[in-house]
Amino acid sequence: MEWECCWNRSVIELGDCPNILEGDEDLLDSPRRRILEKCSDCERFRRDLDHFQDSGHPLAPVFSLVHSEYQRQRLHIQSLISFLDNKTLEIRFLHELGSVLQSSVDLEEVLSVALTAITAGKGFGMNRAFLLMTEREHAVLRGYLGIGPRNLEEASHIWQEVSSQDMDLQTLAQNFRQNKLSAERAKFHDILERLTVPLSATGHIVVKALDSKKPMLVEDAFHHPDVDPSFAALLGVDTFLLMPLISRNRRVGMIIADNCITHRRITDEDMHSMETFAFPVAFAIERAALYDRLQVELNRVTEAGVKLKEQQELIVRMEKMALVGRITSSIAHSIRNPLMIIGGFARSMLKNSENDPRRDFIESIITETRQLEGVLDEILNYSDSLYPTRDYWDINQLIESAVRDIQDRLVASGAECRFSPQPGLPLVYVDYKQVSYCVRTIVSSDIDGRDGGAVTIRVHQQDDTIHLHIEDPRRIVSADELEALLTPFGITHDMGSGLGLALCRTMLEKHGLPFLVVAPPQGGITYRIILPTRKEEDHHEQTTGS
Amino acid sequence: MNRLLVVDDEANIRLLYAEELKDEGYDVVTAGSIAEATEKLQGGSFDLAVLDIKLKNESGIELLQKLVKERHEMPVILCSAFSCYKDDFSAWLADGYVVKSGDLSELKQEIARVLAKKAQKAKVGL
Repeated sequence: MEWECCWNRSVIELGDCPNILEGDEDLLDSPRRRILEKCSDCERFRRDLDHFQDSGHPLAPVFSLVHSEYQRQRLHIQSLISFLDNKTLEIRFLHELGSVLQSSVDLEEVLSVALTAITAGKGFGMNRAFLLMTEREHAVLRGYLGIGPRNLEEASHIWQEVSSQDMDLQTLAQNFRQNKLSAERAKFHDILERLTVPLSATGHIVVKALDSKKPMLVEDAFHHPDVDPSFAALLGVDTFLLMPLISRNRRVGMIIADNCITHRRITDEDMHSMETFAFPVAFAIERAALYDRLQVELNRVTEAGVKLKEQQELIVRMEKMALVGRITSSIAHSIRNPLMIIGGFARSMLKNSENDPRRDFIESIITETRQLEGVLDEILNYSDSLYPTRDYWDINQLIESAVRDIQDRLVASGAECRFSPQPGLPLVYVDYKQVSYCVRTIVSSDIDGRDGGAVTIRVHQQDDTIHLHIEDPRRIVSADELEALLTPFGITHDMGSGLGLALCRTMLEKHGLPFLVVAPPQGGITYRIILPTRKEEDHHEQTTGS
Repeated sequence: MNRLLVVDDEANIRLLYAEELKDEGYDVVTAGSIAEATEKLQGGSFDLAVLDIKLKNESGIELLQKLVKERHEMPVILCSAFSCYKDDFSAWLADGYVVKSGDLSELKQEIARVLAKKAQKAKVGL
């Protein structure tokens, strides 16, 4: 029998078999491998087999049966290999995905990875995906993010770009997060804002899928009995996949994926693969969300810690202030009463001592007790300044009242204080007692130790502040005297000693009210106080005498 | 002659007030505690009371509240070593407030002012 195929030859030449091409040279002298790998698919071998069948040899039908079974098993094995190859790729992909998801606690990064995995060709290769997140406080599923092209043109551009860059999943996700996340969110804003489903809407296809905790393939959506037509119209596709994200029985969210551009059929294999993928995604999203909440709580605890520390320091300060208050209160009672008695009886004696040789001594007692009472007043005023009480006050009325309080002193000194109220000024936000004290003290210190003189008080508005100027154009003060004037218990030749102006400066600057004293060498002195007209005004500029 | 009640826990201050106010033409009765003041009040009527706020372990404000309640026709002037009570709501019940000083001019002026106001009120029948 003449055989067409080369199966019975131990060695053949290249070109003897149409199925052995360049690169298959090692098969030329190996008949066993040649028969198993090439002959069974060869047309020549098939014709030889037909001739053998026709020859009537008793083994011919058996041989034919064995050959056909061999062919079938071979195809089956090839199919299994293909399946295993696919599964290997899928496991590698899931492993890569799992590694990325497990290493991140950043919600945006997790979402970028998840949605990139669904739409990337190297992943599940879906055209488009939406993520809906569960908002427990509002009991709704709300559209959070979308990814994918909106039309064929954009799709071609994206896929071309992705295929030309050959990036792994992590790089793709990072690229998406850095360059496209915001744009994609904005691109699908119109759909996302309408993708809100109340969790109580148990008839809604999305809630049904979520409650079933199983992925659901929705086909023929526009005629599906469980699909709201408006929902199908919003997505614009008749086939889509619903993939619930469940972690520890908690409904984390839902992914809706479709092939809106290619219309490729979503297979059961796709569903099973994505079901495997859904768990680590749900877990990673929940973990990232918990981490976010933990960060918020941590920040709150940190802030609370800082506040607590501030409060503790405040309490310590308040205790110190309270101690100062108690001490000054004790001084007031312990010193003022004896001073009053000494001064009072001295005055009483003075009335009937016209011819008494000790009259000068009595007058000295009265003068010294008066001075001591003045020092006591200043100390008590300082004690009061520790607790300022701000409110809105009429500056014209405040100045007029302050000037009235020292009118007797002005008359006794033969001095004059001029003030013309300015109509239409806004109210100032200050501690009335402190500012009144400052006006009285500045005017009093200016006239102290002088005979006559005139002090002028002016006020004017500048933006959100009122400028209060107290001027004495005839006073000449040297730089050293000015410094002494503004130093507690500093002594000047003309203007007395004590706390007066130093206390004014401390009071005003402590509450952020600028206090400026200008005393040019050619003469004249001007005290300037800037008062806020608004509560939120925060004057932290600190200006001192010059 | 107007009759004044002066309440202060310091004996020397009571003596000073008595001497100075008598010179001004007032009939002055003094008390060193709330109990003593109550006793004096029960013994006769007064045109005005001058009260110290810190009375050892007692409070002149309490006595002020009692007087306003029981003898609202009698004006009261608080005279204290503390200026801070001026801003205390309870001290606003008083008709006058004077910070203690060796110079009693302010207290004398305040007494004259309050008594004149009382006389004015009586005149118009309030």
